Amino acid sequence: MEISQQTANTRKRRFFDNLMRGVFLSAAVVSASFIFVIAGIILVEGIIPFVTDNQGVGSVDLWKFITGATWLEGVTFYSNLYGVGFIIVSTLYIALLSLLVSFPIGVLTALFIAKVAPKKLAESLRTVVEILASVPSIVFGLFGSGIILKLVYDFSNLFGYQSKGGNSILSVVLVLAIMTIPTITAISEVAIRSVDKAIEHGSLALGASVTQTNFKVVLASAKSGIFASAILGIGRALGEATAVSLVAGGRRSGFSFDILDTTSTLTSIMLEGMKETVGIDYNIRFSVGLVLMVVILLTNLVLNAIKRKVGNVHVK
Amino acid sequence: MSSNIKRKTTDLFLQGLTYLASSISLITLLSIIVFVFGKGYKLINFQLIINDYESKGYVAELQHGSQFCNCDAQMDFEDGTYYSRRWGIAFSDSIDLLGKNVVEVEYVSPFSPFRALQDKGIGTEPILMRTDYTIIRIAFDDKPSALSRDGAQIMANELDNSDSFREIEFKTTGGGIRGSIITTLYLIVLTLIMAIPIGVGAAVFLNEYAPINRFTRVIRSLIETLTGVPSIIYGLMGLAVFVPLTVQLTSATGGNIISGAMTMSVILLPIIIRTTEESLKVVPDEYRQASLALGASRTQTTFKVVLPNAIPGILTATLLAIGRIIGESAALVFAIGASIKDNISLTGKSTSLAVHIWTMMTDEPANIELSSTIAIIIIFIVLLLNIMIKLLSARFMKRKLGM
Repeated sequence: MEISQQTANTRKRRFFDNLMRGVFLSAAVVSASFIFVIAGIILVEGIIPFVTDNQGVGSVDLWKFITGATWLEGVTFYSNLYGVGFIIVSTLYIALLSLLVSFPIGVLTALFIAKVAPKKLAESLRTVVEILASVPSIVFGLFGSGIILKLVYDFSNLFGYQSKGGNSILSVVLVLAIMTIPTITAISEVAIRSVDKAIEHGSLALGASVTQTNFKVVLASAKSGIFASAILGIGRALGEATAVSLVAGGRRSGFSFDILDTTSTLTSIMLEGMKETVGIDYNIRFSVGLVLMVVILLTNLVLNAIKRKVGNVHVK
Repeated sequence: MSSNIKRKTTDLFLQGLTYLASSISLITLLSIIVFVFGKGYKLINFQLIINDYESKGYVAELQHGSQFCNCDAQMDFEDGTYYSRRWGIAFSDSIDLLGKNVVEVEYVSPFSPFRALQDKGIGTEPILMRTDYTIIRIAFDDKPSALSRDGAQIMANELDNSDSFREIEFKTTGGGIRGSIITTLYLIVLTLIMAIPIGVGAAVFLNEYAPINRFTRVIRSLIETLTGVPSIIYGLMGLAVFVPLTVQLTSATGGNIISGAMTMSVILLPIIIRTTEESLKVVPDEYRQASLALGASRTQTTFKVVLPNAIPGILTATLLAIGRIIGESAALVFAIGASIKDNISLTGKSTSLAVHIWTMMTDEPANIELSSTIAIIIIFIVLLLNIMIKLLSARFMKRKLGM
């Protein structure tokens, strides 16, 4: 009697344990499945303009879309002549330029915080970087729109160049650079800190100065982590939308590498006035999203391949 | 010897470079703060938080039977404020957000007939004249109207010299952000209600239950992949999945706060899972073994021993989530929409504070002043959250070391 009561209890408990395990498991599975939901929905919606006739407008030519030099020829809803070729190029160009600005600054700041600065200064500078990292991107956009546009406008005036109120590739690059510096600094600093002390001591024992050691040995040893920070930085630059849209100027056609020209990025063109929730004007944004995801994926693959080539120095 | 000098100069130069680079972060932060405060401090006041964004215009007349009051003001006025004793109302000159001269109401006596005016439009409710409303014109029966461009003094005098007036046109104060604040609060509450249980549940599974095998690794890396997706892509997903879903299930007709909160939940899941898991990891295994040895079931152990010890981590995750919700803009533009509203409903379009900034900055002309004021509020909240997270983790670390 007693024993059967106990087994019944145990069975009940085991059932309840299994039930809760199932609940927790499903939470994990749901969380993990969203990546498929995202990829799936972007793929499905983004492919519609290419494979259907878009309610009589006609299907979009994939090759022309990817290589096109005009966002839209003709009238919205009545034209299938979309093209994002020039936008893909400007997006990559901008991401690269912003990395050229933010990477050296970010890495040197990280080196300063980790190795050069006195402890108090390093501590407060780390706080500054943390605060910068937590400032929402829209505030950077506002700052860019209020200050950087003006600076760029005055700068271009110096050369007798009439820029469109400062809206330009240069402005976007600067806004993205100041946004990515904290990311690069934070991750590079961790990498620099984790460089094996023995490597450093070896260099110092061989007669190198502290600065020489920092630049030639520490940075080289931490290059894998530093490279990872660059990959993250470029990811952030490629995906940023609202801040960019405030300073890009909304270029509608034409390849341009002139840093004082207006521009568009894959993200900023997506944010431009969506009027309908059906039809080609709606779906084409998903196609742009699809292109953006492919661009990010390919960039990551290429950079990771380079990172493997650059190789790892053993770090603790 | 000379090579030594050369080496020293190179070292100095390189060291200088690191100083220079580091100063850029500092300068950037300082100039952002100086910029938003410089542009935005003028508009910071309590009214901003409770006012509507849209300013409404009214044409009104005296209510039937109400008359001038000849009432004394119960306060002293500064220079530049003109009081009409006969009507119990005071005006002053002011400048609106667009830089135009306007006449503003400074004071309305409790006995003034302006406390209850009759709307000449469709409204039947009596309307109250409040301070900070702007007067456009007062029309009289027997003389030309007093217009706002004549200034406050003339308007007050004209009014004081009349026994009655035909109609008064005025505007309520606009430029408030009450609607966006409510939307942001709704978003925070709804998102946390959805994301915290799922996120914590997933973290518990991964840390407490999951076997070490391929399946767990795949789940983990799939969740990790979510962190790399740009927020605008989340926005597209919200637009294509959650907006139609909420339109089906509720009275919503387009983007709405619920679909926005669902989208935010997906964005936050990896952050919540990672932070919670980190705090679960540091709960010592002895606790679990002791609880199980005492005869507690697995479920009891999880809820009564493991999770209570992980509360600082879950709190940190919550604070991080709130910060992200307040700062998010691109995803919400798609998932909720970008039209600034004053009457907020869960199933209607509206803007969070960050999207409010974006909408105003993409308008012509851009309203940098009010945007900066909102930016001050956002930065302030984000700083506060950061400090709280720091304190929380400091306490947590202390406890960990104390053991």
